[in-house]
Amino acid sequence: MTRVQTGTIGVLLTTLALNCAALAGEKTAWRLFVSDHSEPIVNVIDLLKQEKIETFATKAPARLYRSKTGRTVLAVQRGADLVTAIDSGISFEDHGDHGDIKVKAPRLLGVEIAGKQPSHVVEYGGEIAIFFDGEGRARIASERMILESKSVLRETAPGMPHHGVAVANDRYTLISEPNVKNSDALPIGIKIVDKSGAQIGGVHSCPDLHGEATSGNILVFSCATGLLVASMDGSTPQVKRLPYAAALPSGKTTTMLGGRGLQYFLGNYGSDKVVLMEPTEAEPFRLVTLPMRRVDFAVDPVRAKFAYIFTEDGRLHRLDVVAGKLDGSLRVTGPYSMDDHWNDPRPRLAVAADKIAVTDPARGVVALVDATSLTKAGEISLGGRPFNIVAVGGSGQTHDD
Amino acid sequence: MLKTLRTVVLAGLVSLSPLAAGAASTKKLNVVASFSIIADFARHVGGDRIDLRSLVGANGDPHVYEPRPADVRTIAAADIVLVNGLRFEGFLRRLIEASGTKAPVVELTKGVRPLKSTEQAHDRERSGHHHHHGDYDPHAWQAVPNARIYVKNIVDAFCSIDPPGCTTYETNAKAYDATLSVLDDEIRTTIARIPPHKRVVITAHDAFGYFAHEYGLTFLAPEGLSTDAEAPASDIASLIRQIKRDKVAAVFGENITDPRLVQRIAAETGSKIGGELYSDALSRPDGPAATYVDMMKHNASTIRKAIAPDVP
Repeated sequence: MTRVQTGTIGVLLTTLALNCAALAGEKTAWRLFVSDHSEPIVNVIDLLKQEKIETFATKAPARLYRSKTGRTVLAVQRGADLVTAIDSGISFEDHGDHGDIKVKAPRLLGVEIAGKQPSHVVEYGGEIAIFFDGEGRARIASERMILESKSVLRETAPGMPHHGVAVANDRYTLISEPNVKNSDALPIGIKIVDKSGAQIGGVHSCPDLHGEATSGNILVFSCATGLLVASMDGSTPQVKRLPYAAALPSGKTTTMLGGRGLQYFLGNYGSDKVVLMEPTEAEPFRLVTLPMRRVDFAVDPVRAKFAYIFTEDGRLHRLDVVAGKLDGSLRVTGPYSMDDHWNDPRPRLAVAADKIAVTDPARGVVALVDATSLTKAGEISLGGRPFNIVAVGGSGQTHDD
Repeated sequence: MLKTLRTVVLAGLVSLSPLAAGAASTKKLNVVASFSIIADFARHVGGDRIDLRSLVGANGDPHVYEPRPADVRTIAAADIVLVNGLRFEGFLRRLIEASGTKAPVVELTKGVRPLKSTEQAHDRERSGHHHHHGDYDPHAWQAVPNARIYVKNIVDAFCSIDPPGCTTYETNAKAYDATLSVLDDEIRTTIARIPPHKRVVITAHDAFGYFAHEYGLTFLAPEGLSTDAEAPASDIASLIRQIKRDKVAAVFGENITDPRLVQRIAAETGSKIGGELYSDALSRPDGPAATYVDMMKHNASTIRKAIAPDVP
């Protein structure tokens, strides 16, 4: 609570701040969490030292998600019906005029969220919704509770098994509506339920729903016909349809990322194109054609105007999201064909500080690329087949307590 | 404001580069304002010599604004960018960096005597956002004398970058300043009619420190200075106890904040909701605060009617 009164001067606070500043030092820490395509392990790399500092055993090969704060990494093990929580060891405290960084050893938190066939993980407003395809339901956790070694806040009612998604805040959950005629088909829309499980309104149509992302306060789902654009800021979630522009060629988005620092969305559009989406603009879609088929992409959370796309010829491309153009590329790995199985081991990207990390499963390494000059910046050997990757870290002040 | 921004120091340490001679006569000054209140000031000064864009529009909350690639293009095309300063626009640095703009970025609070921030340090590890403004309260426009400083700074900036238009800017500003002077007197008269023991106002976020300081009220707010931090339950409980103890008659919502918090306070204390105040954004043109002058009149009038309805 605050009380504003004329003439109040925070002399004490100012003095304290000066004293704290005098004791403060700067520290930077970045870690890469890398899962293996075939082995049930998650390796942790100190990026500044460019060396492996920890290996965690999981129950099955994992896909990795990092929380928005970077405190938590979730290892989603579909093969073991399990999600395991890892404390990244790097945390930040916002002190207004500066941020403090704390660096500890990464550790398993002892939190395992079990359920049949975990798939999509979406964090929104501090709540993390994990969808379990085999149960047609979501389990919802908060990072704060996970870090206290507690797991599930609540779960939605079980439903028809399907490959779905859920997004939750403290009052509502948006959850995919399955295709009742064919559980193998993608969902047909999104419905809103409150904490009691009661549905609010009807189903918002979204045929072939696959792919979701958040950027700032906007949440987007991709459908065969366009996007569902949702806002959960108000008293009840608002959902609007945004059809694909008529000028776009036939296609759809099935994988999306949300911009960090700039509000936009980046999605695939067919195999050799990406689309930049700005739902609030008069012309919301800008198509970018790639020289080859896309393997993976990532947004740059530091240099907000850039995103990166890796193509099957082994090249990393930098996308200027403001101009809507590729503005540079670099060959990083050998070629990786997108033919054959969708889940074959292929490179994945993560942006960490001034580096872009590219897993190279064929060679058992993580290649590093300088984000500013788009030149090679070394590689870290892990062995095995490094696959999914997330980056955690940043800079902050440290204080002599 | 971080040093990476090419912020203009209006005291003369840095001079603005005028537009090429003749350019001003054939091309309007491309002005970008960070939010709607600054845009309104710029519109009054610039008149038809400027093309004006506001990044954060009517009823938009600058605290939680997420800039878009289109905004980067807007900044990149700007001749001049007008901002509040005092760390109000948290989104600005990355926007300026992404745009690569050479346009001067003018902080309009230059010359304002800033008030210390009263924002409390809450739980440091909450999930979600917590936006801090730093040591000083940035909401300086909530006192009309400060608004007059903003306008003077805009004139100086426009004259520096567009010398041929300077006479027009000065003439426009002089007329607008007279309006602001009258407005200032009106607000003082309105608040003066309220008995001093009743001059306690509760708002959703702490944006009215300068209003309180200038016109003689006390504001209570549960959220600290920013709208993207959820008020801790302990603070709300404390506020509720204080409202009951001080027998506060009304709480006020804001156009940019979630009304649930104020509704909760009103429900738990038996206070009435006195109306909606406008803090960091103007209303849409058909609303009660479509301009800065309308906004300030509306706020003063709404407060008076709620806490001293019998006072004319």
